[in-house]
Amino acid sequence: MNWSDAVRVAWHGVWGHKLRALLTMLGVVIGVAAVIVLVAIGNGASSVVASRIETLGTNVLFVSPAAGTPFTTAQVPYIRHNVSMAHRIVPILDSAGKITVGTTTMGAPIVGTTPAYADLGSLHVAGGRFLTPVDAQFDRHVAVLGANVSANLFGHSDPVGQTVALLGQQFRVVGVLNPVGQGPGTSQDNEVFIPLSTAQALLGTNGLSLVMVQAASPSQASLVDDWLTNLYTNLYGSPSAVSVQSEDQVLATLSATRQTFTDLLAGTAAISLLVGGIGIMNIMLVSVTERTREIGIRRAVGAVPEDVVLQFLLESMGVSLVGGVIGIGLGVILLRLAPLILHSPAVFSPTSVVLAFVFSTVVGLGFGLYPALRASRLNPIEALRYTG
Amino acid sequence: MIRVRHLTKDYRLGSNTFRALHDVTFDVETGAMVAIMGQSGSGKTTLMNVLGGLDTPTDGQYWLNGREVGRFDPVTWSHIRNRTIGFVFQNFNLVPTLTAIGNVELPLIYRRVPPRIRRTRAVEVLGAMGLGERLHHYPTQLSGGQQQRVAIARALVGDPPLLLADEPTGNLDVNTGREILSVLQELHQAGRTVVVVTHAPEVAAVCERVLRMQDGRMEAQRFEEDAHELE
Repeated sequence: MNWSDAVRVAWHGVWGHKLRALLTMLGVVIGVAAVIVLVAIGNGASSVVASRIETLGTNVLFVSPAAGTPFTTAQVPYIRHNVSMAHRIVPILDSAGKITVGTTTMGAPIVGTTPAYADLGSLHVAGGRFLTPVDAQFDRHVAVLGANVSANLFGHSDPVGQTVALLGQQFRVVGVLNPVGQGPGTSQDNEVFIPLSTAQALLGTNGLSLVMVQAASPSQASLVDDWLTNLYTNLYGSPSAVSVQSEDQVLATLSATRQTFTDLLAGTAAISLLVGGIGIMNIMLVSVTERTREIGIRRAVGAVPEDVVLQFLLESMGVSLVGGVIGIGLGVILLRLAPLILHSPAVFSPTSVVLAFVFSTVVGLGFGLYPALRASRLNPIEALRYTG
Repeated sequence: MIRVRHLTKDYRLGSNTFRALHDVTFDVETGAMVAIMGQSGSGKTTLMNVLGGLDTPTDGQYWLNGREVGRFDPVTWSHIRNRTIGFVFQNFNLVPTLTAIGNVELPLIYRRVPPRIRRTRAVEVLGAMGLGERLHHYPTQLSGGQQQRVAIARALVGDPPLLLADEPTGNLDVNTGREILSVLQELHQAGRTVVVVTHAPEVAAVCERVLRMQDGRMEAQRFEEDAHELE
């Protein structure tokens, strides 16, 4: 049998069982689409991390306490007193909260901080003003909204001067920030900023989540890092009580987390493709059994065992390849829709298409081989006598 | 055409050995029409399978068309079947998902005949079988007699010198059976060697010679007149 005939015979086998072929294909379609979409989501998350490097100055260090380490507002003068090279010191108290305007409520990270926060990086006020020393001094109930928060709650209208409900209190909106993309941790665009003292009063604490320390220049950053590390190791008698990380380190940690996340997603997708492959094998085995007599007939009229192997192998590969192509199409369509559904960027990766394609071919070959070999080894006499 | 000497076939059934063919010796001349008769279990089907290369003998020699083929491997046998032997079965054995043409084309596919030529050839043979109007029908859309004609067309399409028919009328009513039988006779008259395995006397009656099988042995060879006596 030559190749074009082999393909024709295989095609006929698939076409003769359209519904079954379609259902078998579905496993591969879903698997391949899952690989493409999930890898793209993972990549999207990683690209966010990469773009984050520019949003804050490179010479910022993050000083954060381990769980159980006392860490209060007193740290600010303490650092200022002991680390003379610290250029700016910005304390932060994070809390998760809800912000309400009228009947609209959204969850948002609420950041209690000082006016100096605005000087750390590329934080620009689009309307109104940022927090001022006076706000802090009088524990004012004022809030500055991230760009997304403002857009979600007020749409296109100007929120400055409006009242929002936060932490069970009324706050006056005094400013809106420009969109900056992602900042460290969560995006500043999604955050609400209030004076640190106000946040501490409402949350009933004098603790801090972290202190951001900016060195005067990037060259001094590692020096400041060493100073801070020594300072806290001496203070608590352990280097793990308070962690001092440069932005690079934070990003590296984040990026590693994201990579794990991407790998996990890709692994999940690969497993679904594997399950699709087992589906193919299952159906091919049924198909071989069902067509036992056909195999016998083909052997009787002169098919050699290799012809039979080729026929069934091409069938399973055809199903998985067509499934793969459809899966790629579906994956690309889903990626177009992803921003609408996920609110997170998905970065399409051509490698994932190649990967999915190769994988679906391998699945077709691998899982089709056993049924095909089984078909070719049938005894022709018994095959002809088979009544299924 | 066929020359068989001391052919023996043993089957292992668990720890027992069952001798399906016992020292079978006979010849079939080229152009002859021969019936192999016997009760079920007499070994006639096993003999048929060995003659068609679907089964290998345990012992003895088998020459087909002057070649000693008894020990050939499955691949070589596939080629021999493809070029030298046409099979006709009791239950027709058509591929249900293929049309009449598709079924008839099968042997030519495995002979690497180009599509257009084998299609022309299949149409030609089906036409000769009186199925010119049924080319694109599937087996389930055909009567038993028509299905057997398609099967005969498939057996003939590669122009093999030998036709092996296993109870070709077994699944057909009397009249249709007669029709199929006369088709086989015509083929024989056209010069083809025809071997028919059957237990039906009326089938044996139209053959030149009848070889009788019993308990795996071949009885004395009889000729046409003997077959008539059986009726």
